[in-house]
Amino acid sequence: MARTRVRKGWHRYLNGVTISTTAVAIFVLLPIYWLIVTSFKTPGAVGDNPPQYFPNPLSLTNYQVAFSQYTFGRYIVNSAIIAVIATFLVLGIGTVAGYALGRLPMRGKYPILLVLLMISVFPEVAVVAPLYLLLRDIGWLNSYQALIFPYTAFNLPFAIWILRNYMLGIPKEMEETARIDGASPLKTVWSVILPQALPGLFTAGIFTFTACWTEFLMALTFNSSNNYRTIPVGIALFGSQFTVPYGTIFAASVVSVVPIAILVLVFRKSVVSGLTSGAVKG
Amino acid sequence: MAALGVVPSTPAADRASSSPPAGKHDVNRKRLARLGWSFSTPAFVVIGAFTIFPIGFSVAMSLSHVSVSGSGFSLNGFTGHNYSILVHAAQWRYALGFTVVYTIVTVLVEVILGTCIALVLERLTKGRGLMMALLLVPWSMITVISAELWGYIYDASYGVLDQIFKALGLGQPIFLGTPTPSIVAMMVADIWKTTPFVAIIVLAGLVMLPEELYEAAEMDGASGWTTFWRVTFPLLRPTIALAVLFRVLQAFGLFDLPFVLTQGGPGYSTTSLAVLGYQVMFQDLNFGPGAAVATSTAVLVLIGCLLFLRVFKAQVGEEGS
Amino acid sequence: MQKLQSSDNSGTRATRRGGHGRLVASTAALSALGLLAAAAGAAAANRPARSSSHASVTTITWEASPISTSGPDLRKVLIADFERAYPNIKVQLISAPTNTDTNESQLETQISGGSSSPDVFMGDVIWPAVFGAHGLAVPLSTKLPKSFFARFAPGLVAGATYQGKVYAAPFFEDQGFLYYRKDLLSKMHLPVPKTWEELKAESLQLQRAKLVKYGFVWEGADYEGATCDFMEYLTDAGGKVLSSNGKSSTLNTPAAVKALTFMRSLVTSGVTPAAITTYQEPQAMNTFDNGQAAFLRNWDYAYSASQSAGSKVIGDVGVAPLPTFQGQSYPGYSNIGGWNLYINPHTKNMSQDLTFINYMTGVDAEHVMATQFSEIPTNEAVRVQKSVIAVNPVLATVPHTRLVARPSQTPEYPKVSQAIYQNVNEALAGSESPAKAIANASAGINTALSGGGL
Repeated sequence: MARTRVRKGWHRYLNGVTISTTAVAIFVLLPIYWLIVTSFKTPGAVGDNPPQYFPNPLSLTNYQVAFSQYTFGRYIVNSAIIAVIATFLVLGIGTVAGYALGRLPMRGKYPILLVLLMISVFPEVAVVAPLYLLLRDIGWLNSYQALIFPYTAFNLPFAIWILRNYMLGIPKEMEETARIDGASPLKTVWSVILPQALPGLFTAGIFTFTACWTEFLMALTFNSSNNYRTIPVGIALFGSQFTVPYGTIFAASVVSVVPIAILVLVFRKSVVSGLTSGAVKG
Repeated sequence: MAALGVVPSTPAADRASSSPPAGKHDVNRKRLARLGWSFSTPAFVVIGAFTIFPIGFSVAMSLSHVSVSGSGFSLNGFTGHNYSILVHAAQWRYALGFTVVYTIVTVLVEVILGTCIALVLERLTKGRGLMMALLLVPWSMITVISAELWGYIYDASYGVLDQIFKALGLGQPIFLGTPTPSIVAMMVADIWKTTPFVAIIVLAGLVMLPEELYEAAEMDGASGWTTFWRVTFPLLRPTIALAVLFRVLQAFGLFDLPFVLTQGGPGYSTTSLAVLGYQVMFQDLNFGPGAAVATSTAVLVLIGCLLFLRVFKAQVGEEGS
Repeated sequence: MQKLQSSDNSGTRATRRGGHGRLVASTAALSALGLLAAAAGAAAANRPARSSSHASVTTITWEASPISTSGPDLRKVLIADFERAYPNIKVQLISAPTNTDTNESQLETQISGGSSSPDVFMGDVIWPAVFGAHGLAVPLSTKLPKSFFARFAPGLVAGATYQGKVYAAPFFEDQGFLYYRKDLLSKMHLPVPKTWEELKAESLQLQRAKLVKYGFVWEGADYEGATCDFMEYLTDAGGKVLSSNGKSSTLNTPAAVKALTFMRSLVTSGVTPAAITTYQEPQAMNTFDNGQAAFLRNWDYAYSASQSAGSKVIGDVGVAPLPTFQGQSYPGYSNIGGWNLYINPHTKNMSQDLTFINYMTGVDAEHVMATQFSEIPTNEAVRVQKSVIAVNPVLATVPHTRLVARPSQTPEYPKVSQAIYQNVNEALAGSESPAKAIANASAGINTALSGGGL
């Protein structure tokens, strides 16, 4: 009953807001419409002026070119392997570290957290050249590990912050109960803390996955061989010096967005609930 | 403090730290501290191996004369010369001002728009999940691709936006030809991509708010706007603060969008600090000043972060000190 | 109360453990899969793909950005031909990014990092000074005899020289051409323009007759391409950018102001769209292909682009050398573009690299490039072959053009070029007067040459 009363009170306010936010929703979806539609135009029609608002004729040429001429399929596989492994590494290492920095009495944890923050805000641009030298010395250039480990290292600080934040919100008697049951600390983390922190894990996971999926600079510098190229770099190769084949680029883009879109759709509840619970609970 | 002691906690001390006899407590703490260190070590090792050296090297480069040749980098001397070049360079001062203003404007707009969207979405019961998934699509797009898409939309020859403006009788503006339109165009592209993300963060916070508050406000006869301003907003503040923090960190490192959309142009009007760093280092092969740009950016962001955290300490979930 | 709480917790714990278990299983499976893939990848990478232990066959790596847009890949065709001619050398192709700047910075990072790969790389014609000054390319003049460099068209080797040493071998060449709508010109009985003034007048005529939207499109955006276009007008007017010793700017002359004023007048008269300040090659090409322009200044690829599917001007395009200013001798100057082959100083296969370069700039390879892929050969003997001239109107026009290089003989060239194109762009946008723009550009060039600024 209170709900309906609230709705009535909100109602007038809501209408103005609804209209403007519907406009915003259209603003959000229109460019995506344009992206998808352009990918289905014939390459010649992409540059039409005035442009075709709907492809006529519908054509899969751009998709064919992306996958056959540019071996886009391989780039997807590379990106997927790197992003998935890096994400799991970050979650695995980050959860225990976040737990330690959040719930265990460590001296100097605030300076450590600050240092972690500093690392995560350092511009990538400056780090690429020295990192290249390091990887070359280890002999890891043009490989999966050349990207997996730097991505893990650079995404860990942020993930640790999120996970730690989330774990702070877990009631303290959780561990005490487990202790009473005789569980070792590791087991406590595994079976008691982890389930509670699952939404935080999803949040950190999605952040890390997206960061790895979209990273450009390091992927360009470390993995120049076609066998290990990732999606953003692959797209940089489309066309030639004087042509920007928008149709093909967008076809590849549509294909690379679909997996994340599906992931997000499937895990949306966890993503949403994980995003700010820690902050609100304080 | 979490106490994994053997002593059972009393109901009254549910959330407070229990205090067993002094000796046992110390031993416990030491053991837990050691545990903490062993849990964190893998993280420190990985992070240390792949970040400390590059960052340290960058900072070292920013403090010396660097020359690059076929045989590698050579660092000479210890000097603040690179930083003085920065301060005297109009380009750097512009990039700094531009990045700050850009951050403030885009984050402000995104927060306002995002909150509005979240408020509406909260009312949706059926299509909410689908709507959220749709909203996350721009955020999940690779930034480079989003920049290409907007480049295509704004293009003077290929672009659809010009046609739309023409149809609406608004002339045929050139979006990326002069500084001010370019900056605005870039902001629009950025806002498009990240507002949904902010909306979802705020929505998550909204969903957590207890209903009793609204009931109380209703009973007091509060209007919609007052309810929002007096009741909802204060409680949403921590959520919004978190969203702002994430976004500010990202916006300060702005690189992909100007790099692909405008290449920092026209002139250097859309050159952010990160783009400037890239240009100086990789296009001019001037690693000393370039590293100085990067290091100074990091320091500035850090100071901003610390200030921010100090203000919002309680809300962002620090443990009670 | 507490008991209720704990049973609550254990209940939820149980359900969570259930979902928890599934999560664990999938984590383990995916991690295992991932680690397997990484191991496989590592193993594949460690498999010797380069200089093998067999004394007979060596593999060298060649890094080049994509050259042909459609049809067979020019790079792979030439590699196949080379490997047939030299069975002891295998060439592994590495695809470089299409964006020239990204390409350049990637190479610079790799080579200054000491990488021995790629052995040979294809680089822009404006890189020799930058790469030479930083020791990022091998001075070929110390490895190859003078007779090697005699095969190239005049002016090209000079462009690859820095401080007396030649750092690159010209691979294929590019230059600016005037493309025109021959159907429109014949409709109005207009000749192909030989002066800029004539071109402007003819454009206005065509536009007034409502036959075409714009008269002339070219490249005026804030990027390297604007320097290319500007060089053409500048040299036509008699101006020069650098002094003969390359140490100071000689840009600030009435000739330069005349050139830039003319460019701006194209915009103010409506012959060129105001959006020219955002036009790079794709935009100019697109406008011409859509039939919205009567004249186009573009590189050699524009002919085949204008005749390919989706273009609205198929069969209506003619090619000619660029015009010049009234009172100067025809034809006007075309700016040199194109790509060279460089050798990595850390290469371990020097003799194979030299063999490769020798072949790629030799008559056979250059002939293939010209006849099958319409690229302008750098090999002089091939340029004048009848079969090459017959390929398309562009290659037929090549022997009749005059070339001018950009002032790339200094390692500060990127900043020099930036001073030029930024000010040209501002003048075109009307935010600076041409005289002021030239003065600013000249000052900027001097600052760059003295190594100052950020």
